[in-house]
Amino acid sequence: MSIKEFIATIPYNRISLRDLFAFEKSPVNILIALMTLSFLVMFALGVAIYLEHGHHAYGVSRQHPWGLLIAVYIFFVVSSTGLCIVGSLGDVFGFKDYMAVSKRAIFGSIVTIISGFAVIAFEIGHPVTMVIYNVLSPGLTSAIWWMGTLYGIYLTFMVVEFVFLLRNDMRMARYVGFFGLMFGLLAHSNLGGVFGFLNARPIANGVFYPTYFILTAFITGIFITFIILGFRYKLNFTEEIKKLLTGLAKIQALLISILIFFVSWKMLTDIYDGLPGRADVALHILGSWTFWIEVVLVMIVPMVVILRNMGENLKAIFWISLSGMIGIFFMRYNLVHDAQLKPLQMLKIKEYQLAPEWIHYFPSAAEIMISLGGLGLCILLYFIGSKLFNLDADAHH
Amino acid sequence: MARYAMALDYKNCIDCKACEVACKEENGILLGADKQRIWVGHGEIKGEYPFLDITSNTFMPSQCQQCETAPCESVCPTHATYYDENGVVRVDSEKCILCSYCMVACPYDARYVDDRTHIVDKCNFCSDTRLVRGETTTACQATCPTKVRIFGDLDDPESEISQVLRVREYFTLKPHLGTNPKLFYLT
Ligand code: SF4
Ligand code: SF4
Repeated sequence: MSIKEFIATIPYNRISLRDLFAFEKSPVNILIALMTLSFLVMFALGVAIYLEHGHHAYGVSRQHPWGLLIAVYIFFVVSSTGLCIVGSLGDVFGFKDYMAVSKRAIFGSIVTIISGFAVIAFEIGHPVTMVIYNVLSPGLTSAIWWMGTLYGIYLTFMVVEFVFLLRNDMRMARYVGFFGLMFGLLAHSNLGGVFGFLNARPIANGVFYPTYFILTAFITGIFITFIILGFRYKLNFTEEIKKLLTGLAKIQALLISILIFFVSWKMLTDIYDGLPGRADVALHILGSWTFWIEVVLVMIVPMVVILRNMGENLKAIFWISLSGMIGIFFMRYNLVHDAQLKPLQMLKIKEYQLAPEWIHYFPSAAEIMISLGGLGLCILLYFIGSKLFNLDADAHH
Repeated sequence: MARYAMALDYKNCIDCKACEVACKEENGILLGADKQRIWVGHGEIKGEYPFLDITSNTFMPSQCQQCETAPCESVCPTHATYYDENGVVRVDSEKCILCSYCMVACPYDARYVDDRTHIVDKCNFCSDTRLVRGETTTACQATCPTKVRIFGDLDDPESEISQVLRVREYFTLKPHLGTNPKLFYLT
């Protein structure tokens, strides 16, 4: 079978532009539609400002070269890896209960990573050069090289897996899905390595981020699964979905308790005995409100809500998943910002700058617009996909 | 083939900043403190008046340390940052994708974005300006009125820098990071 014939066998719904606007005009739907539209307009605006002024349009500086867009990129690729893990539960590992969400989660992992790429394209100064020299002159010691290359391979596998899922070829979907998952996990831990390899930054250096990224990806994947299924079923879940979500909620409680354990020990080892460049930074982080948003929205609230009924109160978990994603955003933002908090010159053995100060950063309007634009793009792609493809599990599952 | 390095007799520095100006002039660096390849830092004066510690108020010229194991080189995804045949860490403007990873990874805050070329740049010991013309000094060294800077080849035992490093004590910055800097501060 030629590729052309193969593509012709992919089932999809013929839709027109009119079908895209034929959604139920409830206030919530209209609000989401307007939000998405305005985010997309902002995307265009932000990109226009960036094309005009380059990195000067951003709040980044010599001492804080990575800003909001890096955080948002991480946010999207974490989401993608997370959805890939959730999707693989049924489809690769054969847990029957989770089969019903596989197709939707795998599709979600594709749209989130595309949105991430769309955002990072306006942070990397020369994306075209990157594509060329990534191949011609690969920097094999660079975690960014590995992360980018592995994510490229991962995306390919995810698309192929999705096609097999659409064609209901579960055997092939499982094989391809397995490799997709492996490449996703490798790529994602390499993203942790981008920070973990920074010997110059004791707060980020070490094994913590590569492992923590995988854990938080799984957590993020479950949050998003609650959100997309909540919208899909308008919170009136069928018995099958109820079983699936309750199972995921219990896994979530386990993952969050591991996360609390991880983060507590990271903080304790950071602070213990006051190692300069690490202890002072950790104390500074503990004093920042953005860290506490992360703690409350990702750890405390979900833990309390899930444990109250052992994952049976699905509506409540839907809502805390929404707020959880806000927490996850702050988690990414904090990670990027915290790694750069400490001025490096202060770390020199002979100091030659005035009293230590923290490096300030606040995202510019262009950065915020492009970031929201990424979210808009993600919602739009997901919406189009949900019209174009049958994302529900087929009846015989 | 050489192994270029620089020794700094930093206690002679009088903070005239002639080197900063000479570097900008020679290498056509844009104005502004966040665009500098080299700079002179000030120690903070310690103590309370009148018991001020005058030894704390030192001037410390600094710049890219020309690490022998350079973090900026290992993190670069496209080999835009490379060691040239003289051991100088340089940037190939063709290949730089402006990902800024080197800026985050350099322990010495030695890199900056050059708004003319739109790449991340750094000190390269005047390799593409003076050395390529056959000169044997860097601009900062040639201009320094108190002869703080000694630039030369570590592989040549007769070079001034090799001789100085044999007889004077020195330290390097953040040696615990294993970057093996080739900037030596003479004490
Ligand atoms: S000082 Fe920084 S820029 Fe210079 S070689 Fe070392 S790591 Fe690279
Ligand atoms: S900014 Fe340029 S020189 Fe620096 S790591 Fe990226 S590609 Fe390499």
